Amino acid sequence: MATIQQPAAHTVRRGVQPLRAGEGNSYVWHKLHSLLGIIPIGAFLIEHLISNFQALGGPVAYGKTVEFLNSLPMVHVLEWVFIFIPILYHGIYGLYIWLRGKSNVVYYPWSGNWLYLTQRYTGIIAFAFIIQHVIMERFMGVSLHDHPGAAFYKMQQTLANPWMVAIYVIGMLAACWHFSYGVWLFAAKWGITPGTRSRRRFGFVCVAGGVLLAVLGLGSIWAFVGPKYANAPQNVPISYLNAPAHTGAPV
Amino acid sequence: MAAPRIIVIGGGLAGLSAVIKIAEAGGTVDLFSIVPVKRSHSVCAQGGINAAKNLKGEGDTTWQHFDDTIYGGDFLANQTPVKGMCEAAPAVIDLLDRMGVPFNRTPEGLLDFRRFGGTLYHRTAFAGATTGQQLLYALDEQVRRHESEGKVRKYEGWEFLSAVIDSQGVARGITAMDLRSMELRSFPADAIILATGGVGAIFGKSTNSVVCTGSAQSAIFQQGAYYANGEFIQVHPTSIPGEDKLRLMSESARGEGGRVWVPRAAGDKRPVKQIPQSERFYFLEEWYPKYGNLVPRDVATRAIHKVVYELGLGLEGQPMVYLDLTHIDRATLDHKLGGILEIYEKFVGVDPHLEPMKIFPGMHYTMGGLWVDFNQMTNIPGIFAAGECEYQYHGANRLGANSLLSCIYGGFHAGPNALNYAKGLQPAEGDGGAAAELARQAEINASLLHSEGTENPFRLWRELGKTTTEHATVLRYNKGLKQADEKIQDLLDRYKKINLSDKSQWANTSFAFTRQLYNMLQLSRVVVLGALLRDESRGAHFKPDFPERNDEKFLKTTKASFTGDVAGPRFEYEEVDTQYIKPRPRRYDAAK
Amino acid sequence: MADKTVQLEIKRQASPEAPEMWEKFELAWRPGMNVISAMMEIAANPVTAEGHQTTPIAYDSNCLEEICGSCAMRINGRARMACSSLVENLEQPIRVEPLSKFPLVRDLQVDRSVLFENLKAVKAWVPVDGTYDLGSGPRVFPQQQEANYPLSNCISCTCCMEVCPQFNPATGFVGAATIAQVKLFNNHPTGKVFKEERLRALAGDGGIQECGYAQNCVEACPKQIPLTNAISDIGRDVMVQKVKDWLRG
Repeated sequence: MATIQQPAAHTVRRGVQPLRAGEGNSYVWHKLHSLLGIIPIGAFLIEHLISNFQALGGPVAYGKTVEFLNSLPMVHVLEWVFIFIPILYHGIYGLYIWLRGKSNVVYYPWSGNWLYLTQRYTGIIAFAFIIQHVIMERFMGVSLHDHPGAAFYKMQQTLANPWMVAIYVIGMLAACWHFSYGVWLFAAKWGITPGTRSRRRFGFVCVAGGVLLAVLGLGSIWAFVGPKYANAPQNVPISYLNAPAHTGAPV
Repeated sequence: MAAPRIIVIGGGLAGLSAVIKIAEAGGTVDLFSIVPVKRSHSVCAQGGINAAKNLKGEGDTTWQHFDDTIYGGDFLANQTPVKGMCEAAPAVIDLLDRMGVPFNRTPEGLLDFRRFGGTLYHRTAFAGATTGQQLLYALDEQVRRHESEGKVRKYEGWEFLSAVIDSQGVARGITAMDLRSMELRSFPADAIILATGGVGAIFGKSTNSVVCTGSAQSAIFQQGAYYANGEFIQVHPTSIPGEDKLRLMSESARGEGGRVWVPRAAGDKRPVKQIPQSERFYFLEEWYPKYGNLVPRDVATRAIHKVVYELGLGLEGQPMVYLDLTHIDRATLDHKLGGILEIYEKFVGVDPHLEPMKIFPGMHYTMGGLWVDFNQMTNIPGIFAAGECEYQYHGANRLGANSLLSCIYGGFHAGPNALNYAKGLQPAEGDGGAAAELARQAEINASLLHSEGTENPFRLWRELGKTTTEHATVLRYNKGLKQADEKIQDLLDRYKKINLSDKSQWANTSFAFTRQLYNMLQLSRVVVLGALLRDESRGAHFKPDFPERNDEKFLKTTKASFTGDVAGPRFEYEEVDTQYIKPRPRRYDAAK
Repeated sequence: MADKTVQLEIKRQASPEAPEMWEKFELAWRPGMNVISAMMEIAANPVTAEGHQTTPIAYDSNCLEEICGSCAMRINGRARMACSSLVENLEQPIRVEPLSKFPLVRDLQVDRSVLFENLKAVKAWVPVDGTYDLGSGPRVFPQQQEANYPLSNCISCTCCMEVCPQFNPATGFVGAATIAQVKLFNNHPTGKVFKEERLRALAGDGGIQECGYAQNCVEACPKQIPLTNAISDIGRDVMVQKVKDWLRG
């Protein structure tokens, strides 16, 4: 066909590419990320906050909880498979997700959009906090596996630094926020709450749950920094932890 | 022999219908559209689509539909094609239904039907108040399917400029311009189907979309095609006056029980809610007790005109009357009219559930268009036309909800006919005249780009719209029509001194518009002069000086052909096919 | 009120490679004015507020009734339809920019064809056997019609994609509009023949998993389409489909 060419034609840039229907594996990686956030990470978070709450009962009670956890079979395998690896995956893939999104709350200051943004910030805060928390408390200093009775004192020493208290409070709140909104998101995106009303109702449930977790977390921080157990012992011997119905002061 | 190549121009209901039929029959189609086809003007149709399915136990028949259509069109339409359309209508609805159009339903899960103007039957299938949108999408989806199977190639963002016609007078392709790169190109084809819609833009503001300029029809007309019944322009009784356009307020508002009224006392200052029933003038119901608010559009339009300009009863002295839905419960309104009420609320800022809408007639539709034979072919061999751009189905006035039907039926007809024609076509000699036609178009472009005048095309267009609306819509006087034609000639003169403020060669929308403007000016002469010559009143064409229909002289199709002379197009008249229904007086104040 | 004016600032760009620049315009105010009618006014008198001659603004528009989906642009930062953006509801000066997520053509014109490609990728149609007369369609109860009709109202304006933080070249996210169309066609008695294919398509790269559920789509949609509901429903369906596929091997 005949054409008449015009001089210096411009080219329109490439934009967002169409859907690659059925191609690639990103679906599986995304959904794995999503699922791991609930199970086991979320489940562990709940367990961990409840366990920590035992600290309000003092060094002995706290030591007992730690010892109980230590007594689980193959505890090292469990913590790698169900805690460290999932958290690493969830955190690193989450960063990847974050980097590819482009927040626009400046133009669209709607609540869902704010929550989208806060989910990313709380995620990165919680992830950074968890990394330092695990390194400091799990892999450095006295081994709590060998000395569960030292758990209380170890935390107390960490939190003797007011900066660390601030970091723990922020990290704790970020984790609770990220988890409770994450549960809501999970339900919305997996189609468990497909209607506007069901999402709103479930939103209340998630807020309540989040607040409860935050109270548990802050309560346990208080146990370590409050005056009640100011003179906690460096270590509570295992024999003492195992002694039945002991009420007296530590040795 | 290679498979025939068909070009379809226009991606509204008619164009897409043709494309689907051709693709289904094994042909390949190049589909040209200025806008992405899903944004075509068909999307604006609101009320519904007619078919005598008789699902309401009223004894409706396709014959009744045929009779209503012929009667509503004041007997000007050729009866054979109209009869075919009305008989095919129920199957068209079934097909659309199968394609997934979300028509409103009865509790039993069957199609629901509403009443529309010019009939006493519930004959209009509808999908809320956005039927055109839903129909267009259904066809768009089917075309997308054929496109993904490689049977259709879309050229969206290309504007048709002219047909390529060989030395034998046979169409061999088209020339078109890419509206982005401004590239000119010719495309060979064995047959061409024009489905380029309405001509609203020659009236400046209308209910039509921006692309409805009639430019393509006009181009073909200037290449030798007859343009028929151009003077028949439908003015919709209920539109929302606006700064940029007149927004349609669907006839379905009246179909669902909407009532048109004004306060009996001129200049009544009371808030609308405080005006008691007895002081409201429901003029359509009083003047036309049988059809009431559902008289045909030309009748309603003239009634509103009379109330405003003769009786001086326009709201607050303005050219507006009430269209009242406030007596209908909210659920029904939202269910059946949601889309259009939302439009009114968005653009006017008043909730029509609570307050009557203020409306006024606005230019809406052209019954006239390219002359075609019963096979949808124009007098240029190889060029077919379907949809609003041709003249065939509506006579002197179109009934509401018949346009969607005529588009789809016309397209379904034109597609296979074009394919058949193409199969029997002898190959072109050489390029069939493509290079010469392309050179002609390039010259037009060059001369526009180098024009060093003072006239702004958009201002010329406004002047055109003002004069056509004033003289060639509801009431027509020969003196005014003559003035209008002189004005158009003046505008054609001034067009030569046009100055493009944008001479760039990339996505130059005002350049494209300026090209369209020339064609609009040429076509508007057909409308105005056709009206001038028709000294009678028939359907939408109303001359107060000749208030009666004159079958002896004017029961004829007007056929205009381009001459290129200053005197304007040449007009001739053709007998109308009235073999089935004998013409009788058209009255809506009593049973017919 | 005769001298009341409207001030606009419009972002101009003569071609994809040309530099961006802002031009100011001041127009006489008229009742009922919207952003498109303001730009029509500029076309008839292309002079900036400073008195410089300029070119008419290139923009897409067609129906001016918010049904064709052409005239989406960013007005005062927000993606919306220009025809229904009434001047009196906007803070002045009114800042008009092209959509930011789509390749620019000129001024306010962008290329949004990606949406139509996405609709192809999910087979967004009802595969009828043919257009010949096969009798009436399947029965659809009014409740089903009422559920599907809103989804069928999508005007392809791409506002939902523009406002989505996840819709960008990195994710290649398909966007809410296409997901809603999948729900529409999967709901249709005949359209559902491709249900599994559509769901698998949406699990491809750029698929439904990229949704971050910021819910901007549903806020921005000029047609109030229940987009988030569609994402939730289809999200579940895709998951179920993937699990089924996995179990079947």
